[in-house]
Amino acid sequence: MDTLVQALINGIAVGGFLTLMVLGFSIIWGVMGVINFAHGEFIMVGAYMAWFARSEWGVEPLYSALPIFLIMFVVGFVLQKLVVNKVIDRPHLVSLLVMFAVSIIMSNSVKLIAGADFRRVNSDIQRGFWELGDIATIPRKHTVVLVVAIIVLVALQTFLQKTRLGKSIRAAAQNREAAQIVGIDIKWVYAFTFALCIGITAMSGALTSTIIPVFPFMGPPWALRAFVITALSGLGSVKGTLGAAMFLGLLESLVATYAPGSSGSQLAVITAFGLLVVTLVLRPQGLFGGLRPVDAGGH
Amino acid sequence: MLGTNGNGAPGSGSRPLLEVQDIYAGYDPNVDILQGVTLHVNEGEIVCVIGPNGAGKSTVFKAVYGMLGVRKGTVLCNGRDITNIRPQDALKTAGITIVPQLRSVFSQMTVHENLELGMYLSTDKAKVAERIDYVYDLFPRLGERARQEAGTMSGGEQRMLEIGRALMWEPRLVLMDEPSAGLAPIITKSIFKAITRLNQEIGLTVLMIEQNARQGLQASHRGYVIELGRQTYDGLADDLLGNANVRRAFLGGH
Ligand SMILES: Nc1ncnc2c1ncn2[C@@H]1O[C@H](COP(=O)(O)OP(=O)(O)O)[C@@H](O)[C@H]1O
Ligand SMILES: [Mg+2]
Repeated sequence: MDTLVQALINGIAVGGFLTLMVLGFSIIWGVMGVINFAHGEFIMVGAYMAWFARSEWGVEPLYSALPIFLIMFVVGFVLQKLVVNKVIDRPHLVSLLVMFAVSIIMSNSVKLIAGADFRRVNSDIQRGFWELGDIATIPRKHTVVLVVAIIVLVALQTFLQKTRLGKSIRAAAQNREAAQIVGIDIKWVYAFTFALCIGITAMSGALTSTIIPVFPFMGPPWALRAFVITALSGLGSVKGTLGAAMFLGLLESLVATYAPGSSGSQLAVITAFGLLVVTLVLRPQGLFGGLRPVDAGGH
Repeated sequence: MLGTNGNGAPGSGSRPLLEVQDIYAGYDPNVDILQGVTLHVNEGEIVCVIGPNGAGKSTVFKAVYGMLGVRKGTVLCNGRDITNIRPQDALKTAGITIVPQLRSVFSQMTVHENLELGMYLSTDKAKVAERIDYVYDLFPRLGERARQEAGTMSGGEQRMLEIGRALMWEPRLVLMDEPSAGLAPIITKSIFKAITRLNQEIGLTVLMIEQNARQGLQASHRGYVIELGRQTYDGLADDLLGNANVRRAFLGGH
């Protein structure tokens, strides 16, 4: 019983910050039709920035997260203008390949600058555990990250639903031509969306740097999880992504807890990607929504 | 119907709102789909473009509002050169909006949100609310469905919503690409009726493309036939309806 409660609590915590880590991937795909293969590398860069801030200046990842968001927002904006924007009207494969190349450049650049070693990012405020009676313990760092993730998700959802800019982003995702017809500057929406998503993704890397292993080639498994969650949830929806990320988080946690011997982490990964295969084969439109192509023009 | 009651274009001396002059445009860099199209729409007119599938009718629309580059020729609005305007500026700077051929509602937003986005360019909330009420007056059906997700409505209702959204920002000219496509005859009729009413009541200027050539021309003042990227006939709607060649090719004979 206690083990189950513990597994569920871990799963929910993982699901929470997994949502933050993959949402940018889903929104960029949904709005711009670009499959950001370098998604995991933006998490990686955010984590390295947090590590640098911590080891050089002693700044807690919780506090460096916001500046990292702002810096990577600008980086995302520039990258969109200089690179993504140039290939966005070409077939999807072109932007996918470009972002794949960007991912290789990023991981190798970080390796060149910071070396290939695993980095440990310490945090004083995230040390220790919360005790839930004698049923379960929750690592304090998980709660901190989870709370911040929830705040960011609520803010993002409110932004997308309520603000004029947020509405223009949703409009562009749902029908690009109609968005232009009503006067929305689609290029600006794309640049802003890309910048915002890169900022959030790097910030998620900074926040989770105390939890996950940090090294130059840490990106791909996270990009692949983003694929799994997006396939489950459909594109660009905060709620759908939250649901699918919780599902994956719980599943991985349960498998890891109940797997025999030391097979846990491998079995969790196998489960996640088995899920991707099964989803795509059985329900190409996704479980919690659908992989809507942009410009489908309504159905 | 406008065409049959003997009225020609309203005030035959009224000035051209849109002038398309000898334009060339296409998708493949080496192929011009439009090869010198010339047409105009006067203030207050309904003008109907007919012609076979693939003739380039929709392409004319895309070229007019900047969705597709014009390679040669000019587009004037109110005498001002708007050739290769950016699509998002067509409404703001020229007052031109379009109801595209393919469904174009924001399908996961409510009817109300769709209409709000029609006034994306305005930040005046009171004005937006006023215009939404106006559209609900025009299409009560939309008012009944204000909170429904647009994508879940019938084809005819979605068409109504597209037209309503296009009217939000009080455009000077609405381009309608096959407003009746894929709709049941009774709904087609009500759509044409709405277009006629808007034209008579608020003087809305409309350039439409119709596959349903007879009904389209009957609802219009003037018409053009476009074939293979050029206009081949033009004239008063009544005259086109009576023209033997046009009848044989596009109006089902006799
Ligand atoms: N997006 C596009 N890309 C390439 N070719 C296109 C595109 N849209 C239309 N065409 C071609 O342009 C020609 C004219 O199309 P269109 O203007 O849509 O014809 P219609 O008169 O039926 O509206 C057709 O040969 C069509 O195949
Ligand atoms: Mg067409």
